[in-house]
Amino acid sequence: MQTKDINENIAWAKINADVLRSMENPRKGYWIAVGACLLMIACAVMAEIYQYQVGMGPSNLNWPHMWDLYIATFVFWIGMSHSGTLLSAILHIIGADWRKPIYRFAEAMTTFSLLTAGLFPIIHLGRVWNMYWVLPYVSDRGIWPNFRSPLVWDAFAITTYLTSSALFLFIGMIPDLAICRDNARGWRQKLYTVLSLGWQGDDRQWRHFRKIYMLMACFLIPLAVSVHSIVSADFAMSIMPGWHVTTFPPYFVAGALYSGCAAIITLFILLRYFFRFDEYMTIPILEKTCKLTFAIAMVWTYLNLIEFASTWYSHDPVAKELLWAKFTGPYAPFFWMMLFCGSVVPFALAFEKMRRHLPTMFVVSLLLNLGMWLERWMIVTPTLSLSHSPFAWDVMWPSMVQWAIVFGSFGWFGLLFLIFVKVFPSVSMYEVKEMVFHRRRHAPSEETAQKLHRRADDPKPGAQPSTEGA
Amino acid sequence: MSGNDINRRDFLKFMGLGGVGAATLTGCDMPTTVTLEEGKEKVVSYLAPEEYVIPGIGVWYASTCQQCPSGCSIHGRVREGRVLKVEGNPESSMNGTGLCQMAHAGLQGHYNPDRLSKPLVRKGDKLTEASWEEAWALVEEKLGARTAWLTGTISGHQAVLLDDLKKTLGSNKSYAYEAINNGVGEALNKAVLGEATPRYRFDKAQSVLSFGADFLGTWVSPVHFTKEYAQKFRTGERGVLMVVEPKMTMTGANADFWVPARPGTEGALALGIANVLLHKHQVDGRVLPKAALDVIAKYSLAKTTDVTGVRSEAIVKMANYLRNNSPSIILSGPSAHEHANGSQNAAAAMLLNILLGNVGKTIESSGEMPVKDIAARPASSKAIVDFVADVGRGDIDAVVITGTNPVFTAPKALGVEDKLSQVPFKVALSMFIDETSALADVVLPLASSYEDWGTSVAAYQPHDKVIGVQQPLMQPLYKETKGLGDVLLSLLKSKGVDGYAGFDDYYAYLRKAFSDMPASVKQGKSDKAFWSAALQSGLINVGAASGSIKAKAPKVQAVGYEANSDYPFHLVPSARQGLWDGRHANIPWMQEAPDQVSKVFWDSWAEIHPKTANALGVKEGDFIRIESDQGVIETQVYIFKGVHPDVVAVPMGQGHENYGRYATGVGVNPLKILSPTTDESTGELANHATRVRVAKTGAKAPFPRLGGSEQQAGRLLVGTVTADVFRKTEGGDHVA
Amino acid sequence: MSLKNLLNDWSHYRKGIEDGGFYEYEHMWGMVVDLNKCTGCNACSVSCYSENNLAVVGKDRMMKGQGLHWLRLERYWDEPDMGGDDKEFQERGGSFLPMMCQQCNAATCEVVCPVAATYHTPDGLNAQIYNRCIGSRYCSNNCPYRLRYFNFYSYYEESWPEPLNQQLNPDLSVRDKGVMEKCTFCIQRIRTGKDKAAREGREVRDGDVVTACAQSCPTQAITFGDLLDKDAQVTKLWKSHQVELGKTKQNKSDEDLRGYRVLEGLNTDPCVMYLDRVREV
Repeated sequence: MQTKDINENIAWAKINADVLRSMENPRKGYWIAVGACLLMIACAVMAEIYQYQVGMGPSNLNWPHMWDLYIATFVFWIGMSHSGTLLSAILHIIGADWRKPIYRFAEAMTTFSLLTAGLFPIIHLGRVWNMYWVLPYVSDRGIWPNFRSPLVWDAFAITTYLTSSALFLFIGMIPDLAICRDNARGWRQKLYTVLSLGWQGDDRQWRHFRKIYMLMACFLIPLAVSVHSIVSADFAMSIMPGWHVTTFPPYFVAGALYSGCAAIITLFILLRYFFRFDEYMTIPILEKTCKLTFAIAMVWTYLNLIEFASTWYSHDPVAKELLWAKFTGPYAPFFWMMLFCGSVVPFALAFEKMRRHLPTMFVVSLLLNLGMWLERWMIVTPTLSLSHSPFAWDVMWPSMVQWAIVFGSFGWFGLLFLIFVKVFPSVSMYEVKEMVFHRRRHAPSEETAQKLHRRADDPKPGAQPSTEGA
Repeated sequence: MSGNDINRRDFLKFMGLGGVGAATLTGCDMPTTVTLEEGKEKVVSYLAPEEYVIPGIGVWYASTCQQCPSGCSIHGRVREGRVLKVEGNPESSMNGTGLCQMAHAGLQGHYNPDRLSKPLVRKGDKLTEASWEEAWALVEEKLGARTAWLTGTISGHQAVLLDDLKKTLGSNKSYAYEAINNGVGEALNKAVLGEATPRYRFDKAQSVLSFGADFLGTWVSPVHFTKEYAQKFRTGERGVLMVVEPKMTMTGANADFWVPARPGTEGALALGIANVLLHKHQVDGRVLPKAALDVIAKYSLAKTTDVTGVRSEAIVKMANYLRNNSPSIILSGPSAHEHANGSQNAAAAMLLNILLGNVGKTIESSGEMPVKDIAARPASSKAIVDFVADVGRGDIDAVVITGTNPVFTAPKALGVEDKLSQVPFKVALSMFIDETSALADVVLPLASSYEDWGTSVAAYQPHDKVIGVQQPLMQPLYKETKGLGDVLLSLLKSKGVDGYAGFDDYYAYLRKAFSDMPASVKQGKSDKAFWSAALQSGLINVGAASGSIKAKAPKVQAVGYEANSDYPFHLVPSARQGLWDGRHANIPWMQEAPDQVSKVFWDSWAEIHPKTANALGVKEGDFIRIESDQGVIETQVYIFKGVHPDVVAVPMGQGHENYGRYATGVGVNPLKILSPTTDESTGELANHATRVRVAKTGAKAPFPRLGGSEQQAGRLLVGTVTADVFRKTEGGDHVA
Repeated sequence: MSLKNLLNDWSHYRKGIEDGGFYEYEHMWGMVVDLNKCTGCNACSVSCYSENNLAVVGKDRMMKGQGLHWLRLERYWDEPDMGGDDKEFQERGGSFLPMMCQQCNAATCEVVCPVAATYHTPDGLNAQIYNRCIGSRYCSNNCPYRLRYFNFYSYYEESWPEPLNQQLNPDLSVRDKGVMEKCTFCIQRIRTGKDKAAREGREVRDGDVVTACAQSCPTQAITFGDLLDKDAQVTKLWKSHQVELGKTKQNKSDEDLRGYRVLEGLNTDPCVMYLDRVREV
């Protein structure tokens, strides 16, 4: 049974070859996946065109259900975007090395899920064509957005987060892009030449690189926390029972990390399977991810209980009524399913046997994500269905238009991701090499280490590795 | 602009496009598909408007509402030649500034897209558009001595013209049919009080007990009663309202004490209450004849409970209220009247009035209309029974139908449709194609009440009698429509009747008629001044010959109750303020406005008690099958505690088969399955007497009811205080 | 836009926050609804449809909850103040509650609109700028009374087929799809009333402005007026029932006085006072 994160004896050249191979020669399966994603997007586009032409009516949104799946799915995707930050920024700072083979795709996920999430507030607008009004652009009539509105904060938070995480992804990729540049021909070479920003891997570049990477990591963490806190403010700042909850920011952040981790497990298994990344995305790394997920799942469960409890002792009859309705009302099956997926299923992660069994983990991760998606829906919809005004109580089920757009958003995310894995290295080559390198530092004999270094002027153990000539 | 080479033509095109935007977005009535140049004749010129058109300013003109027979006085807001809004006429003692929802909705009747714009003539099986001359030639030719006039409520100078026309033609057959009427009550009032429509003094009454008279919703003059009720009866010392009815109406929903009795036993309940008053409260029974006292004596508490199904405490409670809150008014209305023993029920209620000494105190003479020939002609449901009988005898060669839709509103069992088909020639004067006018040989399109001149006199008038003046609020929407007055006048002229040749149109006739009004009415004004004043205020107060009434106690008989095991339920085809008898079902606002009590919109429904629902095993929105010996209807149920457990109430007004895009195919028509029972003494249709059986169909559908919860769920939304608290803080001289 | 304007606006805004509200109101339009008089007849609602160009959405859309009833008549069967409703029959009738926008002074809808399409006017009104609205619908979610309605479709073709469109009131617009709308206290009538007063060179008097609902009520259950006008009927009613703006709980010398504001405990500070329904016990 493999216990080490990664086999320390992988040759650097093999690492390069394996990763670069994954970027080449898309096979039939890849194109099928792309086709499937395009189809899903086509569904959503058709639904959106219909909705754009006719109005928000076909979505089944109504009085009082002014928000539904669009906002729920928006929150879901925003939550998803926390995976990359967690893995690359938080784990980077705390020096958890095992993150290295898997953080790249997690970061890509962050960026793409933000690109997906960002679509939803736009799609859900009644008058999409005026969406830029939420931004404080300079208008000669002196009209500003309403800075008191959490939706405006959202716009700021998401755009900032998107910019930063995209930048973070890009910066972290520069050394690898240089490798690609050196191995590519044709349009790819041109692309990588531009993107690698003249990376030569010299000492000065590495120093700057480390500095800026650390800086970005530190910058990104509070940003990630604030983004989801602000998204939670969309609800928490309102006076609706069930939304007006002070624990929402941590609850949302925990949920976000949770769904992010779950999604990492899913993609981890997929990448490992399709790109034969068995040597990098190893079982021990999966196990560690699973353990992390389990811990977050327990935090999330705890925060859920806190929410029930604080509603219980708040003596707010309306909030209590809502809580009770969540337990027993028309949406109760989904509520219980959410609790099952979010709080019971993760116990599968507590067992080593299950953690090491990829198919099980794949199913579990999907269930966790389903649970997290349901969580968002269960936050948005039951609150609207019950409110202070009993005359406006209503039960609403989303229409095909909403489902199609939600469905399509997965296609959109998938398409972006598929393009990413074929254009950019989805495993960080230089950092895997670091892992191999660092392991070797602890290797038993200096001699073996010496032997493994191919050139005499290679950095000595403890010094910076170089990718030059790799 | 010098730099831009936009020529005049382009500019106008742009303006035309702008007009499209403006028309769709701001509701301007600019033509939507033509440029200004093409459509110039439709555009009001702001540079040289008519002298009375002030662009951008709405002007209010007085007129009279024709949406129901109550005759409220209205102001219509006219802007740029279109009528936009109606409001109550503050000068009117009838309705004041207030109006009911149907009055507002008149606008959508007037502008209804289904309105007839051209005469229709039957060619083969189909009604086809024809010129007015062609249609008119047919009408002139076919109307003769054996012509029947089937109308709704008709009053004012139109009634005068109709009378003259009948005289000329030698036809005495005219049938004024209203499905919502007070025929039984009027007959009884006439017999007991000597006046069909006495004046009810809500301002003087301290308590009101209504046996099925939905006076806030559909009974006699609802807006007037609502105004009196809220502003005089419910303020200050605040009277007590008790309502006995099988299904909660708007009046019932406002009651302090709402009691459902078995349908048809309202009389027994009244007698039971009288019994309590006589024996428990020692009310002086000498005002009643011995015969009546004997009947009352039979209705002990136990017996009354047995017959009516009303708890004895409730009976005592009502008697107590009546005794302690004197004087009172006892009213009775359709759900008590429209039974085989309807007149008995009415008589028993009236007996209570007499016993309590209300006659003369809270029930006063309403005086007599000084200008007699234009007074309201009483309308009833007996008219349609008579009509059917007369057609059956073959007495009728031609019929002119206007203002009524008996094919829809009369019980199907009467066979109005068949009988009409036996009449060789049928003319319908109507704004719309409805079930009745669709059967006609000639349909003449009527002008709406906002396009036409007229006068009307309401049957119920509170004190001073008033002639409501109806003046056009705008140009006719369609050139080939005519008002009823004009049609009648043309007929008179074509028959060469003396004295009519000189009138160009109904307007000219009215001017003359106004000039000829008695001096007492004109009050010394010149003709012109009188006419102007009439138009300005929209009503002419003609005063009333004061009268007094004295009661002659009616005969009452014992009222029993017979259960029917085959058909255990009573079908209550309740009237709904909004759709009225179905005539407003083609008005989108009236369809979209939920029913006041059940909050159901755009559909029919059946109201049943939770007990009944349990027994049937149905939930809200489930379909039930209601079967009488005349037929079957299926509709969704609404379950609440405002209906007697033995009753299934389906409001009338829906279920149109041919009444334009908004009404056709919406809901079901309970009138279709009524048994053709009539009140034994007056012959009025007993629409509440039908027994039915009810079964679950198993079908379910979302229920079109507005609102989620019907409970306040513990929030303070509608606070309620007791009347005693109210009397303490705001009663008496307390001025808020 | 100038920096000066921006700074001025900002300090104005800051001042409003520090002083706990904006006090330079020209008017404070308010209402009283007497539930003792209201019979639930719905005339106000239809009058509102007629005055304010409200679209008829049809059965299916009404059932979906996409109707546009600015003034809705709520009807409840229970009476929380008078004990349970476990009787066999609905003996004391129903409870009717006409609900129009409560024109809250601390409106929850105003803060959440991302583009400030809804804001407080110096008239004390909670105004909705249709042109500015982008349709995020947050305001409606955050209205505890659920009195904001959304145009889920474009209705001007379906709702007003020729010639029904001729009835449309040119004083205000027909709203297109994607826009939130709600009761405006008949702002066009307020405009007309103010213009008239200005033309006549006087202040607006009580009775110059009457909303469509108040005007058409056959029972005169609705009183409308300016709460800053001491002589206005509406002000007198608020005084006599000891209801004041700016409170979440009223201090009344006599607890039996009927005035209350719906859900005032939420600190929305509505400008509509209701008077308790009255029933014999």
